[in-house]
Amino acid sequence: MEENIKLKMMLPKIHNIELVAIEGMDRMAKHMGILDTKIKEAHILVTEAVINALEHSGQKRPRVRVEFELTHERLIIFVRDYGKGFEPESIEDPDINKKLGAVSKRGWGLKLMKSMSDDFIIESNEHGTKITIIKNLV
Amino acid sequence: MESEFKLASEVNNNCLIIHTSGYINNEGGEKIADVFHHHFENGITRIVVNLEKSNVVNSIGISFLIEIIEKLNDVGGKMVFTNLDPAIEKTLTIMGLFNFAGKEATVNDAIKTLS
Repeated sequence: MEENIKLKMMLPKIHNIELVAIEGMDRMAKHMGILDTKIKEAHILVTEAVINALEHSGQKRPRVRVEFELTHERLIIFVRDYGKGFEPESIEDPDINKKLGAVSKRGWGLKLMKSMSDDFIIESNEHGTKITIIKNLV
Repeated sequence: MESEFKLASEVNNNCLIIHTSGYINNEGGEKIADVFHHHFENGITRIVVNLEKSNVVNSIGISFLIEIIEKLNDVGGKMVFTNLDPAIEKTLTIMGLFNFAGKEATVNDAIKTLS
């Protein structure tokens, strides 16, 4: 049977808390004998997903649930917040040409997650937002 | 994983070289921008950012680098990144930074490019 391990955590909004999620993911990968190089891009995915959820959910006391499912073939990352939700289609894709000269240079999280993942699903309603990211490892 | 951000800088051949280590988050990005502004005010317009010891970044930290690129563009200056981890290189590529900044394998290569 294919080895499959899971990790679940609930993260409060604490300085650099996204690194805790990365640390957990790295430990899972090490346990499975998966090379660091294979999950380096997942560091970016997790970082952006957690920061986005904690920064933009609009929760009074921000918290985010993070779950990982890891096999040798793929990594699935779930990130869920309990905020006000948003309309993903209303978010314009950032463009470096427009960012140069603009007041805000930020707003890259969704683009990075979509571009670096092998599959990216976002579900959002008035009870919060759930992001599912799939990263193939083979 | 080294998470604490640290920075060292030097000026070589009229290029500002910034060596980072640790996580480039908003504070790390701001520290890079602070060092840049100090030297930019003194006329330095060629910058090397050596990310050899930074294995994790976030887009908020990188947004400070976009601010630096904007200022360099205004005066015909240039930024070159070196020693990029492949995941970070991909991140910067997706964000479009290499349309306005260079990348080289090493700091010496970057200095040659900027000279």
